[in-house]
Amino acid sequence: MFLCAAVRSAVSHTARQVRGLHRSAARAGAGGIFVHRDTPDNNPDTPFDFTEENKKRIESIISMYPEGHKQAATIPVLDLAQRQHGWLPISAMNKVAEVLEVPPMRVYEVVTFYTMFLRQPVGKYFIQICTTTPCMLCNSDSILEALQNKLGIKVGETTPDKMFTLIEVECLGACVNAPMVQINDDYYEDLTPKDMDDIIDDLKAGRVPPPGPRGGRFSCEPAGGLTSLTEPPKGPGFGVRADL
Amino acid sequence: MAEYLNVVRRALGQIGGHGGLKGLLVQFFRANDVKTGALIGVDKYGNKYFEDNKHYFFGRHRWVLYTTEMNGKNTMWEVDGSMVPAEWHRWLHCMTDDPPTTHPPEPKKFLAEVHQFNVSGSAQQYVPYSTTRKKVHEWVPPKAEAQ
Amino acid sequence: MSTKVKQPSLFHWWLKLRSPLFWSRRPNSERVMLRLPTVGRALAGAAKSSLAPSNTVRTSVQAASNMVEVFVDGKPVEVEPGTTVLQACEKVGVQIPRFCYHERLSVAGNCRMCLVEIEKAPKPVAACAMPVMKGWNILTNSEKTRKAREGVMEFLLANHPLDCPICDQGGECDLQDQSMQFGSDRSRFTERKRAVEDKNIGPLIKTIMTRCIQCTRCVRFASEIAGVEDLGTTGRGNNLQIGTYVEKMFMSELSGNVIDVCPVGALTSKPYAFTARPWETRKTESIDVMDAVGSNIIVSTRGGEVMRVMPRLNEDVNEEWISDKTRFSYDGLKRQRLTQPMVKDGSGQLTATTWEDALTRVAGALQSVQGSEVAAIAGGLADAEALVSLKDLLNRLDSENLCTEEVFPMEGAGTDLRSNYLLNSRIAGIEDCDLLLLIGTNPRYEAPMFNARVRKSWLHNELQVAMVGQSVDLSYTYDHLGEETSVLKELADGTHPFCQVLSAAKRPVVVVGSSALQREDGAAILGAVSTIAQNARTSSGVEEGWKVLNVLHRVASQVAALDLGYKAGVDAIRKNPPKVLFLLGADAGCITRADLPKDSLIIYQGHHGDVGATMADIILPGAAYTEKNATYVNTEGRSQHTRVAVTAPGMAREDWKIIRAVSDLAGVALPYDTVDEVRARLEEVSPNLVRYDDIQEANYFKQANELAQAVNQDLIASPLVPPQLTVKDFYMTDSISRASQTMAKCVKAVTEGAAAVDEPSIC
Repeated sequence: MFLCAAVRSAVSHTARQVRGLHRSAARAGAGGIFVHRDTPDNNPDTPFDFTEENKKRIESIISMYPEGHKQAATIPVLDLAQRQHGWLPISAMNKVAEVLEVPPMRVYEVVTFYTMFLRQPVGKYFIQICTTTPCMLCNSDSILEALQNKLGIKVGETTPDKMFTLIEVECLGACVNAPMVQINDDYYEDLTPKDMDDIIDDLKAGRVPPPGPRGGRFSCEPAGGLTSLTEPPKGPGFGVRADL
Repeated sequence: MAEYLNVVRRALGQIGGHGGLKGLLVQFFRANDVKTGALIGVDKYGNKYFEDNKHYFFGRHRWVLYTTEMNGKNTMWEVDGSMVPAEWHRWLHCMTDDPPTTHPPEPKKFLAEVHQFNVSGSAQQYVPYSTTRKKVHEWVPPKAEAQ
Repeated sequence: MSTKVKQPSLFHWWLKLRSPLFWSRRPNSERVMLRLPTVGRALAGAAKSSLAPSNTVRTSVQAASNMVEVFVDGKPVEVEPGTTVLQACEKVGVQIPRFCYHERLSVAGNCRMCLVEIEKAPKPVAACAMPVMKGWNILTNSEKTRKAREGVMEFLLANHPLDCPICDQGGECDLQDQSMQFGSDRSRFTERKRAVEDKNIGPLIKTIMTRCIQCTRCVRFASEIAGVEDLGTTGRGNNLQIGTYVEKMFMSELSGNVIDVCPVGALTSKPYAFTARPWETRKTESIDVMDAVGSNIIVSTRGGEVMRVMPRLNEDVNEEWISDKTRFSYDGLKRQRLTQPMVKDGSGQLTATTWEDALTRVAGALQSVQGSEVAAIAGGLADAEALVSLKDLLNRLDSENLCTEEVFPMEGAGTDLRSNYLLNSRIAGIEDCDLLLLIGTNPRYEAPMFNARVRKSWLHNELQVAMVGQSVDLSYTYDHLGEETSVLKELADGTHPFCQVLSAAKRPVVVVGSSALQREDGAAILGAVSTIAQNARTSSGVEEGWKVLNVLHRVASQVAALDLGYKAGVDAIRKNPPKVLFLLGADAGCITRADLPKDSLIIYQGHHGDVGATMADIILPGAAYTEKNATYVNTEGRSQHTRVAVTAPGMAREDWKIIRAVSDLAGVALPYDTVDEVRARLEEVSPNLVRYDDIQEANYFKQANELAQAVNQDLIASPLVPPQLTVKDFYMTDSISRASQTMAKCVKAVTEGAAAVDEPSIC
């Protein structure tokens, strides 16, 4: 009787602690700490300036917002900076603040809020693997394992040649085509461990494999072929009484 | 009759034991008492230690005659209990029956080498002071030379 | 559409609207018009209302004004449209618990503590952010409201450390109070608590960020009131934290106010850390003398020691903020103090002596010379009582050589017309003006509370600011017209392009810094400024009572001294060196031994061993502003008085009493023995000095301007540069703040970075 109660309390205690083990994407990969510490490759003197082309883009972005509301362009301009530099060093954030004429703190707030803004250096190919329930049920674990074996890195790490960074993320909204990974801006879906190997091989060879589902289906059509709307649509007179 | 003779003999013995009438009076005024006994020993400062188990009851059977000059201070009339060194103190207070003459004390690092007089009541005495932080720090004027 | 269904009557609709089922089944989007039932009631007329005790009266009031009537726990109250639920409740005296809401900051609505139930609303609403609508019944103590508060409190406490016994906010903590009042008596929280790294944001503010509840009051204070956008929220969700993201000091002259604003112990005072508890201290309402604004303060004392200084509400002066110098320089009151009378002995060394000796010597010296050979200089911290008794003393000795350290041009109208040397528009008046022209001043550091008011007006009333003088960071934008005096001339002549803006202004205000008037061409500058102000006033067509010309002083004693008839500036003394010089807290070093004959005697009366005491022959220890009941007049001409918070240290005495004692020994006894009698004398000289917290109108600009035209002085070409340019010039300006270690640390932190003064934290 007493033993039973002890076991129950031990189990419930462990169950509670499991929650503490949970790591969101913000903690594990994209986030880290929410204060800035100067490092050799991320400090206010890290060289960063927008390219001429991007400066033009910024102008057109800002022109979309009314006069005196440059701050509204924070997210697109930050995105532009990230695309240009691969990630966002503190100097890039300061530059964005300077361009938009807002205090740097207002930019830091935005950057730290969104997990898609990367405040740590990442490799050329930023691989985000989804391991949320639907993907997990379609064996995303095998994809993750394949990736880790192929690249020789663990989740949250970058390969020594600065080519690949791997992180685990929550649902990316492609559950129909689970399991999937996102590499930079492209979704690779319906993956098998072999597909994953092929994709990495292609990327290593400098080719960008076509994004989308592997295994031949178009977009997010049902896996076993169409079950409805299989025939062409009927014409305007369909089902109307002949005498009308 | 015999008792009276005894008294006279003891009185004469006291006078003789203190080196004459003058010695007796000096002893009387210095120690408020006149006693004779066996000299057990003299310490390094010149204090003399006596014992007489026969005539005095326990507690008064050991006594000290202080030296008259100690560490440069005249102790003819100003004597102090602290003038007894530690090794004699234990014999004098009957903590032991073995005087340091026969049983030399073990040297201890905490035993004072040289006696220091009590400075209470003198300018050197210790006065307790507050250790709390001063609430207000006053201005100290600069030295005149500095100007 | 089928026509067989019977069209329901209006009454049926009304019944349906009343039914709870109707409301519960409707989709959310159709449920917005909460006041429909009230309208229905009004239509039905005879329908019984559970809320409104007097329907007819209400409708008539509504017709008369556009006030909105709402009910707080059934009690009707009329409020302006747009009033929030929280303000409506405040109006009937019901306090809604809150953390993030602060009446002087923008509404954030993120703490959720102010949730209240609105009758018939599906969910509790955040009272601080929800504007009221007609007929709402706000239930501030219903079951639902109480449950909501309890729930919010439980969540807030989930990550809040239970370290109240070692927390400096303990005893004055909103979270502590409100969890006692509104929280649950237990927590169901068994998980681990979140911990946040502490930030080093300077030598004044101690951060214990784990205690933070993310109300963002400090962030809003920094960006709205202080105008320093250094604080922000980084991260998201459970990891959200307040900080500067990069290692940075919170560099503002108003930074200390975030300590008051913080509802928990996350931001506390570093100098005050672990020194006292709020219930141990005695609070004395007083006045600050660190600048000429005269901020209202509360001096917290314990055991004859000033423990801290906090702001006191005064809407006309400092609202509820004070500057860092006001708040943190109190440790200067405990260092470098003059605690006993001193005289120079034969070798020229100052040695302590008795009052009898010192006073006899002073009286003897005063008696032994002619009246014209005696002079006095009043410093920046002198109070009106001491000033009037010193003046009376010297006048009885046939001397008129009474000067102030601060210079003010005596040519033209000089100090004869009171409106010539006051901030006539008043600090609160800045909120009414639409154009502000600053000349040769840096109000941010010369008068931080005035600057905060300008910023407030700039932010909310679209005040336009322009400046002549060296360009400085004022925490708001302004048109910089140049720093040369020639700009003033052009403005006065009407040839400067800015004159168009100036003449278009409806309610212009011109503020000239007292430092600009201390130059050799001060009179010419004042004349030019007076002309600019006069032109602006005629072109604006503003009403008679509106005043344009303002002088912003920097020291607390100046206005009272000028009111009492002191001469501004020590030129007279320099030209005619006296044999006996009496310094009343004169520490600015405007006169030195070299300016005086060899055998002259200098008497210093004051509270700090600073410049004045070093050159003195006799020192009479006086009381500082926390130690005396003394009158100070701020730059607006508002007279206020301090109160005795602690007794003066050692043998120091109140200043007017010392002078009274000297007068007795010198054979010219002054006719007052109590502070009330001194004030009666003050009233004789200048009645405004004892009309406390009142401003006497002074309006002789036209005459002053005419007199200024008569001044034959040319402007010097050198640029107008205020003495305090950056924040490091702000901290140490007078004998108290120069003695303060906290202020010294601030200067060090500003010049060398916050890490230079970082102390290992105990907790």
